[in-house]
Amino acid sequence: MEALQTHQLTKKYGKKTVVDSIDLCIPQGTIFGFLGKNGAGKSTFINMVTGLIQPSSGSYEILGHPQKRLDSIQKEIGVLPDYSTFYDDLTAFSHLNYFQKLLKQSLSKQDILHILKQVGLEGAEYIKVKKYSFGMKKKLGIAQSIIHQPKLLFLDEPTSGVDANAVLNIHALIKQIAAQGTTIFLTSHNLNEVEKLCDEIAIMNKGGIQTQGTMKQLQEQHQQDIVIHIHHRPLYEQEQSELQNSFKGLAEKIQIGDTTSEFTVQTKKLIPQVNKYFVRQDIDVFRLEVEEASLEEIFLNLK
Amino acid sequence: MFTVSFKEFKNLFTSIRSILMIVVLFGVTVGAASLVRQFEAPLQKLGLGDDAYAMGLMLLLILAAPLFVTSLSHNTINKEMDTRTIRFLATKTSRNNIILGKFIGSILFWGVCITVALLLIVPFSKSFSILNLVQSIIFVSYFIGLTLFLSTIISNPSLSMFLGIIISIALPVLGLWSTGTDNLFVKAIGYVTPYFYYMQEEAYDYYVYFVAVFPILFILLSLFIFRKRDL
Repeated sequence: MEALQTHQLTKKYGKKTVVDSIDLCIPQGTIFGFLGKNGAGKSTFINMVTGLIQPSSGSYEILGHPQKRLDSIQKEIGVLPDYSTFYDDLTAFSHLNYFQKLLKQSLSKQDILHILKQVGLEGAEYIKVKKYSFGMKKKLGIAQSIIHQPKLLFLDEPTSGVDANAVLNIHALIKQIAAQGTTIFLTSHNLNEVEKLCDEIAIMNKGGIQTQGTMKQLQEQHQQDIVIHIHHRPLYEQEQSELQNSFKGLAEKIQIGDTTSEFTVQTKKLIPQVNKYFVRQDIDVFRLEVEEASLEEIFLNLK
Repeated sequence: MFTVSFKEFKNLFTSIRSILMIVVLFGVTVGAASLVRQFEAPLQKLGLGDDAYAMGLMLLLILAAPLFVTSLSHNTINKEMDTRTIRFLATKTSRNNIILGKFIGSILFWGVCITVALLLIVPFSKSFSILNLVQSIIFVSYFIGLTLFLSTIISNPSLSMFLGIIISIALPVLGLWSTGTDNLFVKAIGYVTPYFYYMQEEAYDYYVYFVAVFPILFILLSLFIFRKRDL
């Protein structure tokens, strides 16, 4: 059983197609990253699969349940919407208490305080939300989404507007939740965050999924250049020219320096070849670094 | 559903507008009761007897309840949509529970207010009329259902407040006018206001219970629309 499966899921507003025929399959127990520029359709997609907005066409299943029975599995999904506003006159504790009653949970006062502590709202539990900063509201948003230990958790931009320390705490919390078996669907603008946390990534553009796979698969699919940096002993002129000739035609670009050389290649297969060459020629290598395309580079290269 | 009801009930009791409303309701009721007490003898002669107190409250509700209800409940649903707090509710409970919960919470609030108002006039009237209480709640439920419906179909809280005020002025005028006119158009409108049913002669007192059908219709329509709505 998949955590989420969509079939040609589409949302149109008038003539504008915001989400275009998305077929997505998310296995249980993964942290799935959903990337895309502003207006790519990420939040609309989340809002559709969490039942907040109606699809124009297509269908989806959550944890094996068809969309028409979404009401019956609300206890199994947690949602942090993209824009979190709360009841100004309630405290964080009152919010969670209200939400847990809506979900028919029976959490004790200690349980609620523990969740608030987990998200970093310790000491602010009984302060009215109108006095909260944006980041604190975001933390409360995360708290309300995990109050019932959902099997599938949708987090729409969980760390946007949150300070660096809190980001680290939220990342740790996401990993902890995932370790307990919860499937996490995460959208973010922060590419490092997605790269760091997610097992699988989909990049959305203009309403459709442009590419999808694990980080390794994406790097392979969209690899532009791999740069091999080698720090070695000083080379004689003859050694430099031999090196240049040996890799001519194999590497895209070769820069031989006195103690550092750089090979720009298109395939990882050349990495051991370069290494072996230095060993064969009895050239001491002090350090070898491989610079691969980051998710950010892949993302920026997608049109 | 009852969690939503209880929150709505609590919200209504804690807002400044509702506190003002309760003060007005009780103040006018007690004031009217004291006034009626001064004219006890002539009223007895007119056959109004002790019911005059309860009638005073009923008259106040008939004329002012639409405005009271509209001003308090015009944004029951669309405020949550405007602030997007509805997204937290709709991902935790069914949309039916939200609409029904809000309706029950409002009914409870007005039920408590009217009960307390009727209890306040007990020292004057020496009686507590359950019938009056039920009829008053049915009357108010018409407007609660109507404002909930408006709040569901209109996204903008300011617009629903404006329309609510227009309707709360127009309905009593049209409703009362329809009871004493031969104009077919006005008469036809009269049938969809509670006034036609509340202004019947004593023999047709049971007509008031037909009014309970209207809030049910408003709620069903609200449910139908709200279930299809993008939040």
